[in-house]
Amino acid sequence: MATESRKPYKARRVTVFVCLALLAPASVALYIYSRTYAKAWRIGARMTPAAFESIMGRAVPALIGMSVAAVLIAIISLLFQTMTQSRILTPSMIGFDSIFVGTQTLLVFAFGAGSRLFTDPYINYLLSAGAMVAISVLMYGFILRRNKNNIIFLLMFGLVLSGILGNGARYLQVIMDTNDFYQVQAATNVTVNNMNTSIIFLALPIMLVVIIAAMSRHRTYDVMSLGPDQARGLGVAYEREVNFNLVIIAVGMSVATALIGSLTFLGLLAVNISRELLKTHKHLPLFIASALLAALTLILGQGAVELLQGAVPVTAIINLVGCSYMFYLILRENRL
Amino acid sequence: MIEVKNVSQSYNRHGQRKTLEDINFSVREHTITALVGANGAGKSTLLGVMANLLPALSGSVLLDGTDVRRVKTNAMAKKVAFLKQTQLLSIRVTVNDLVEFGRFPHCAGRLTQLDRDKVSQALEYMNLTELRERYLDELSGGQRQRAFIAMILAQDTPYIFLDEPLNNLDVKYSVEMMKIVQRLVSELNKTVVMVLHDINFAAAYAGYIVAMKDGRIIREGVPEEMITRETLRAVFDFDFRIEKYGGKNVCLYFDNE
Ligand SMILES: Nc1ncnc2c1ncn2[C@@H]1O[C@H](COP(=O)(O)OP(=O)(O)OP(=O)(O)O)[C@@H](O)[C@H]1O
Ligand SMILES: [Mg+2]
Repeated sequence: MATESRKPYKARRVTVFVCLALLAPASVALYIYSRTYAKAWRIGARMTPAAFESIMGRAVPALIGMSVAAVLIAIISLLFQTMTQSRILTPSMIGFDSIFVGTQTLLVFAFGAGSRLFTDPYINYLLSAGAMVAISVLMYGFILRRNKNNIIFLLMFGLVLSGILGNGARYLQVIMDTNDFYQVQAATNVTVNNMNTSIIFLALPIMLVVIIAAMSRHRTYDVMSLGPDQARGLGVAYEREVNFNLVIIAVGMSVATALIGSLTFLGLLAVNISRELLKTHKHLPLFIASALLAALTLILGQGAVELLQGAVPVTAIINLVGCSYMFYLILRENRL
Repeated sequence: MIEVKNVSQSYNRHGQRKTLEDINFSVREHTITALVGANGAGKSTLLGVMANLLPALSGSVLLDGTDVRRVKTNAMAKKVAFLKQTQLLSIRVTVNDLVEFGRFPHCAGRLTQLDRDKVSQALEYMNLTELRERYLDELSGGQRQRAFIAMILAQDTPYIFLDEPLNNLDVKYSVEMMKIVQRLVSELNKTVVMVLHDINFAAAYAGYIVAMKDGRIIREGVPEEMITRETLRAVFDFDFRIEKYGGKNVCLYFDNE
C-alpha cells in the first residue's frame, strides 16, 4: 500500500511527455503539409520547389510566432494561477489583452499615427508593457492583498477593465482621424492569420527571459502554491515574489498580445489539461507540458483549419472548447 | 531568545478595536510554554505577531535581540516554525511532498541526502512512514494533522509555535503528541510555544503557562501556581473543580453535582 499510489503517476508522466514530444513535430508537419501540398493538390497544381520555398518563407515565421505566443501564454497563465491561488483564472480572462488595445489607441490618439512612440516597435512595446505592469500592480494592491476571497473581485476587475478600455478605445477610434484609425486597426487587429511577425525579434528574447525567470524559480512557486501564510512561514518573501512575477506576467502578456492578438482560453486549456495529465503540483513539469501543449494546440488547430479549408478561425474553436472546459471546471470544483 | 515588548495589535486599520493590548513576556528557552485562554482571547494573533506573519500595531518582538520585522523571511524560517490553527491546501500533495516542503528554508527546494534524512526522521517521529506516499486528501483529519506537524519538525528550527496541535487528534495521539513535544525539548533542545485548550494537558506537560483574556496576559506561571480555582475562574470565567491526583492538580469541568 505504501508506494502504490505514486508509481503509476511516474509512468504516466513519462507517457505524457513522450506523446507531447512526438506530437509537436507531427503538428508542425501537418501545418506545413496543409499549407503546401494539400493546397496545391486541391487547386490541381503541382508543388514546385520554388513555390514551396516561397510558402515556407511565410509559414516559418508564422510557426515561430505561434510557438512563441503559445509558450508565453502557457507560462504566464500558470504563473498567474499560482500568484492568485486560482485554478481557473488566467490573465487573458480578466481582460489583460484589452490593455494592449487601450494603449495603442491612446498613443495614436494623443500623439498621432506618425509618432515614434507608436511606430517604433520597441518604444511602443515598452509603453504597453509599462501600462500592463502598472495595472497589475494596482490590481494586486487593491484586490489580491486585501481580500482573501479574491477571485470574484478579480473577475469583476477584469470586467470593468475590459469594459472601460474596450469602449474607451472604440470611442477614441470613432473621433480620431481616418488615417490614424486605420493605423490603430492595423496594429490591434492581429490574429493567428494576421500575426504581427515584425516584432518577432523582440518577442523571442522576451520569451527567453520569461522562460528563464520562470524555470529558475519553479521551486519557489511550488511553495507559494501552499498559500501565502505557509509560504511565508517557509521563508518565501511572498509580497516581493508576487510583485516580481506580476511584472514577468505583464512583460510576457504584452508581447504575446502584440504578436498574435488575444487568445482568451488557450492558457486555461493548456495549464489545466497539463495538471490533469501529469497529476502533479510541481511547476517544472507543468511549465514544460503546458508550453508544449499550448503550442501544439495552436499549430495543430491552425494546420487542421487550413487543411479542411475551415471558415472558422482556430482561435474561435479554442475559445469555444476553452469556454466549455471552464464551465466544466467550475461545476466540478464547485467554486471559482 | 524571544521577547515580546509592549505589543498591541488590531485587525482594524485604525486600531479601534485592539486584539492584543500591551503584551509583555519572554519565551522561556528549552521549555514548553502553553498559551491558554477562552476562544477569541487573542492566542493565535499573538503567535502570528511573534512569528512575524501579522504586523503589530505597536511594540516589538525581539528574536535574539533583533526586531523580527527586520529579520529576513528566510532567516526567520530557519528560526521559527509555525503550525497554523487550520490548514487549507489548494493543491494535492502526498505526505512525503508536504514534509519535504519543511526543508525549503534550508535547501530552497534542492534536497540533499541530509534533507531527505531529516524528512524521514520527521515522518518516523510522527509515525507516518507507512503513509508517506498517500495523498493528504486520502487521510483522516488526525493523520493530516500529524503530517503538518511532521513538516514543522522537518523544518528543524530552534523555536516551534504550535497553534492547537491537538486538533483532530484522538486521546492516544494527543498524549503521544505531547510526549513527542517533550522529547523535542529534552532531546533536541527546542523551545516550544503551543496553544492548548485542554487545561489538563497544559498542566501535565507544559513547563510554563501563559493565560490570556481579552487580548491581555492576565496570569503566567508554572503549572503549580496556575492550576488553582481562583486563577482559572479569572481566565475562563468558569468554575473548575480541582482535585489532587498523583500529587498533581487536575481540573474537572463537568457539572459538580
Ligand atoms: N483575520 C481577522 N480579522 C478580523 N478579526 C480577527 C481576525 N482574526 C481574528 N480576529 C479577532 O481577533 C480576536 C482574537 O482572535 P484569535 O484568533 O487570536 O483568538 P484565539 O485566542 O486564537 O481564539 P481560538 O481559541 O478560538 O482560536 C477575536 O475576537 C477574533 O474575532
Ligand atoms: Mg486560535
